[in-house]
Amino acid sequence: MELIRLSDIRVAYSVPGQVPRKVLDGLNLTIREGEFVAVCGQTGCGKSTMLRLILGAEQPTAGKVLIDGIEVTRPNRHRGYVPQKYSLFPDRTVLGNIAFGPEMEEFGILGRCTPRFLRRRREIRTEAHRLLIQMGLCESDGSKYPDQLSGGMQQRVAIAQALIMRPKILLMDEAFSALDPATRAEMQRLVRTIWATTGTTVLFVTHNIAEAIYLGSRVVVLGKETPQGSSKVLLDLDVPDAVRTPSGYPRRDELERLTQMVEGTAMGGQPELRLVEFER
Amino acid sequence: MLFRVDAKPGRLTTWVLSWFLFGMGVTFYFWTANQRHLENPEDKVVPGLRQLVEGIGGAFLSADVEETLAADAAQEPLLKRFLTSMLWTDTVASAKRFAWAMALLIPAVLLGLHMGLFPVFGHFFLRFILFFDKIVALSVLPILFIAFGIDELSKIMLIVIGVTPTIILDTFNLTKSIPPEQVVKGFTLGAKDFGVAYLVVMKQILPRVLNSVRLNLKAIMLFLFAGEMIASQDGLAYRISLLRRHMGMNVIIPYVLWVALLLFLVDFTMRYTNRKLHPWFREV
Repeated sequence: MELIRLSDIRVAYSVPGQVPRKVLDGLNLTIREGEFVAVCGQTGCGKSTMLRLILGAEQPTAGKVLIDGIEVTRPNRHRGYVPQKYSLFPDRTVLGNIAFGPEMEEFGILGRCTPRFLRRRREIRTEAHRLLIQMGLCESDGSKYPDQLSGGMQQRVAIAQALIMRPKILLMDEAFSALDPATRAEMQRLVRTIWATTGTTVLFVTHNIAEAIYLGSRVVVLGKETPQGSSKVLLDLDVPDAVRTPSGYPRRDELERLTQMVEGTAMGGQPELRLVEFER
Repeated sequence: MLFRVDAKPGRLTTWVLSWFLFGMGVTFYFWTANQRHLENPEDKVVPGLRQLVEGIGGAFLSADVEETLAADAAQEPLLKRFLTSMLWTDTVASAKRFAWAMALLIPAVLLGLHMGLFPVFGHFFLRFILFFDKIVALSVLPILFIAFGIDELSKIMLIVIGVTPTIILDTFNLTKSIPPEQVVKGFTLGAKDFGVAYLVVMKQILPRVLNSVRLNLKAIMLFLFAGEMIASQDGLAYRISLLRRHMGMNVIIPYVLWVALLLFLVDFTMRYTNRKLHPWFREV
């Protein structure tokens, strides 16, 4: 079933004294419910812009972004968001960060002064604690502040923070780009497991093709046909299951083949496999 | 060691260094006082230790500068004498005005927050506040007295004009410095506009806002003192202005030190409260 539709999307940024710069021009894309769509492309091709349009954090210059047939106007609780940086609230503990969404949605600002809030808070925090453990963190991490965590741990908490809201769509914008290769590989497996378990529709933006192919059930490559042009969908392919082993690790030969194909078709460069970890 | 970036002075050295200038100042003062009193034992410009003690005693234990310690050696408890003393009544009068000024900073912070977060609000107020900030508060003092008279309102308005634009603009800039990802996050976690404003943005900028207010404490006192000196019948600055006419340096100097001590205590309390309320905040 179709969940997200981008119809003839145009995004142009005004630059003082210059002709407006077109980032996206005539982009059309549909995403079905339950898909894991990995969007990749070179820097500046509009991947993050497209994600932000679906998120509702940006509006297109022309065209429409529809989710369940309804036009997107601003971010809401149905779209979970995990950015590369600033993914957690620095003034709250880990548990406070994860519990923020349910507490906010149910009680708002003034509802926190009621006795019912204290009761529900305990239940919400129990759920948050469960998610914390599910993300591979330990109990003592719950009382830490984000700056006391490593990058990988912060991103685990950010994913838990988004998932506790049970969003329809999970939007991840270069969420693993700042992580070291080992942690990145762990997070890749974690996200795949979450997707397989929850069935949430995932849109994952990355500049790494191998990572996109490994993670996604579908890969969309954005890029410019000419250097001065605006970005379009250059390639849109369903990823075969053969890319992964039964235990969830990437198969080197298959991944290499697909990466080379994508690179040759859409990017014309050398395949980069070093950001995925193969089974030993 | 003096100009080495990697210098690590020991605890004793650090202690000595940090108190050295205080010691030098006090020593120099009393040496100067001693020199002047050798020439003129009744010198009032640089009071000696005995004169200062008398002045402090009079200020802390007398209701009037003309009363002497001997006359005040009544059987009343010290606490009662202190609570009816000149210093205490002046402190209470100034403290009330200071409290009003601090209370009026709350809407200033809220205005800065809303200006930074809600574009329509921001466009509506920003240009005006930027201009208003450039008005020299003391230059409008005569206008304030004409418009509001010489009671409390004009003194409070002086502080408002002098300090609130700075606080508004500081809060505005702090709000703008919050990464947009945090605002978007708030919405994706079920918050509405005011939820994002107060539970996401405000909570993050509050420690810095408190620091901004701390840094403006002296400015608040400056304007408060200006108003009191010119048009008041009570208050710390009023007393200093009154004693100036009597060359009462033996009371003025303790008053000045008392004001500095009070400000230090307010600043210390704010810093302590900030640390306790915001344990996550790493002060630079």
